[in-house]
Amino acid sequence: MSTSTPYVPRRHTDSEADLIAQDLAIELDDAAGRAEAWDEHPFTQQTPVIQTVDPENVCMVVDDASMTYRVRSSTGNNDSGGRISRGLKRITGAGWAEVHALSNLSFIVNRGESVGVIGTNGSGKSTLMKLLTGKVRPTSGEVYATSTPVMLGVNAALVKEISGRENIRLGCLAMGLSPEQTAAKYEQIVEISGLSDALEMPLKTYSSGMSSRLQFAIATSVDPDILLIDEALNTGDAQFRARTKERLDEVRANAGAVFLVSHSLGTIKQMCTRVIWIEQGEMLADGDPQWVCEQYEEYTSHKSNGRTRAAKVVYERTRLRLDPIKVDFTSGSRPKKAGSSRIR
Amino acid sequence: MAAPALERAGGPTEPGDARRVAQLDGSNLIRVGARPGLFRYIREIWSFRHFLYYDSHSRVSSANSYDSLGRIWMILNPVLFGTAYFFVFGLLLNTGRGIDNFIGYLIIGVFTFRFFTAAVSGGANAIAGNQKVVQAFNFPRACLVISTTVRELFSSIPMFFVMALLVLSIGDMRLGGAESIPITLTWHWLLFFPCIALALMVMLGWSLALARAVNAHNDVKHLISFSTRILFYTSAVFFSADRYSDLGVDWLDTVMGLNPLFCVLDILRHAWLYDGFADPARWIVLGSWAAGSMLIGFLIFWHGEESYGKER
Repeated sequence: MSTSTPYVPRRHTDSEADLIAQDLAIELDDAAGRAEAWDEHPFTQQTPVIQTVDPENVCMVVDDASMTYRVRSSTGNNDSGGRISRGLKRITGAGWAEVHALSNLSFIVNRGESVGVIGTNGSGKSTLMKLLTGKVRPTSGEVYATSTPVMLGVNAALVKEISGRENIRLGCLAMGLSPEQTAAKYEQIVEISGLSDALEMPLKTYSSGMSSRLQFAIATSVDPDILLIDEALNTGDAQFRARTKERLDEVRANAGAVFLVSHSLGTIKQMCTRVIWIEQGEMLADGDPQWVCEQYEEYTSHKSNGRTRAAKVVYERTRLRLDPIKVDFTSGSRPKKAGSSRIR
Repeated sequence: MAAPALERAGGPTEPGDARRVAQLDGSNLIRVGARPGLFRYIREIWSFRHFLYYDSHSRVSSANSYDSLGRIWMILNPVLFGTAYFFVFGLLLNTGRGIDNFIGYLIIGVFTFRFFTAAVSGGANAIAGNQKVVQAFNFPRACLVISTTVRELFSSIPMFFVMALLVLSIGDMRLGGAESIPITLTWHWLLFFPCIALALMVMLGWSLALARAVNAHNDVKHLISFSTRILFYTSAVFFSADRYSDLGVDWLDTVMGLNPLFCVLDILRHAWLYDGFADPARWIVLGSWAAGSMLIGFLIFWHGEESYGKER
């Protein structure tokens, strides 16, 4: 497919700072002998543009977050370290596998934004979601928000041995609702799940579709301020999907900011006002859904047809367009306090 | 990583090369996933008390749902163990020599020991074994450990009833080589409640500390089952506490006196079998263990609050 945006290296055209820097350099060159006072590479150096962000408007700040997993593994990473530790690992069968999942991610999300997150499998989308909900602390950098974000995913835990009814109560209480609120939400959850016939059965008798419906119904029973939606929510039959969409629209309308992880670019373009593309743990694009999705489609189609060079071209030109941001808190205002685990 | 990082060769984006700097005042933001202060943490646990109660309650009622005999195993289990220990230690090795009311002595030992170790090993596994729940919800993690201990208490109530019945009915059965003191139900039996309450505090404190350790290093699990054995042999479950001093090993006697589980057993036995009070030192040791383990265990657990969602 053809791209609407031709490949234009940004540095030499649309950056005003560049032009100013070039002008300055020429002037300085004219004043002979003063060239050493200027930087060695006047054409590529520039002072960063400082923007002030309205704190009232901010919902979420990701400040230079990186994540490296260290997972216990008998197969991974057996060739690092000295000879003795390598031998020891071979004998005990215990070792570490290190996975660099995300590196140096920074962005700011304002109130009212719907952010789509795209990327090929293994690019770090799920890791980003885990960092955003605070389940895992980034190896370096931090994540800040106005309140604790809530993830709607099909991995919401349910206890297999107890009945659907008890699972609903347990799930609501685990989200911090009071018993009265739980009782009030009960009917709504049953209705959304559409499982009123099977509620007395223990969960181990449920099919996987049934339990994910129940999980969805429990997870969406609250109205969180910052909402993360996992793509896997699009499961179930046509009848359930219609109900899902209705409820999801309601929750989205009440939320201050929404993140949506999906492989379906149609959904992303339809629902989001901004798209973040993560590739191999790095942010590749952040901006207009239409443009980013086009680049992504081109990239994946090159990749799936084995055109590695063409894919690399798309990758590079997309990255040139990226305008990375650095977060700087005014002195002493870097947040430290913890959020409440209850959902209002 | 799925594919060789061809594109990465283009040079990673250095954090320093950002051309935009966003300056903002973060005073009304929170750090996502941060650990709350100690008192706030306790308040949060309190606000999740309904979850805690419902979780332990629903798990008790479903605990043996895979067995065809169901909840009868809660009673059958210690009875079978008691019988086995009676044959091995009481009849074959004859460790009960010189212990009055040995059957009652053994019943109290075996039942209480099972209660204690089941709760501690269950609590130690409360975080590592419930990763799905930890990943899905945001409640203070200590709730899971507390709920395990509460659940163990709930599920042990029928067991304690059986223990009392057995002690009353066959506890004073006469065996060769020992006196038999008739067992009657007196107000001394009520000492059971404060004693078990203190034992619960010890168990909870240990569970909290161990839950963090097991979640950080799975290897600790192996050490727990080993330590359980050691505890079994140093708590006078099936032999007399005087055995070591009779042998002339006095330091073992001191070790046993400092063992909280031995204190629990000794208090219960004096109250139920011999209709009297145990040495007040037992209460002091048990009380200090209870307060100390609760405090230290809770601090240890709270300190690691941010690490419990991590993959292992």
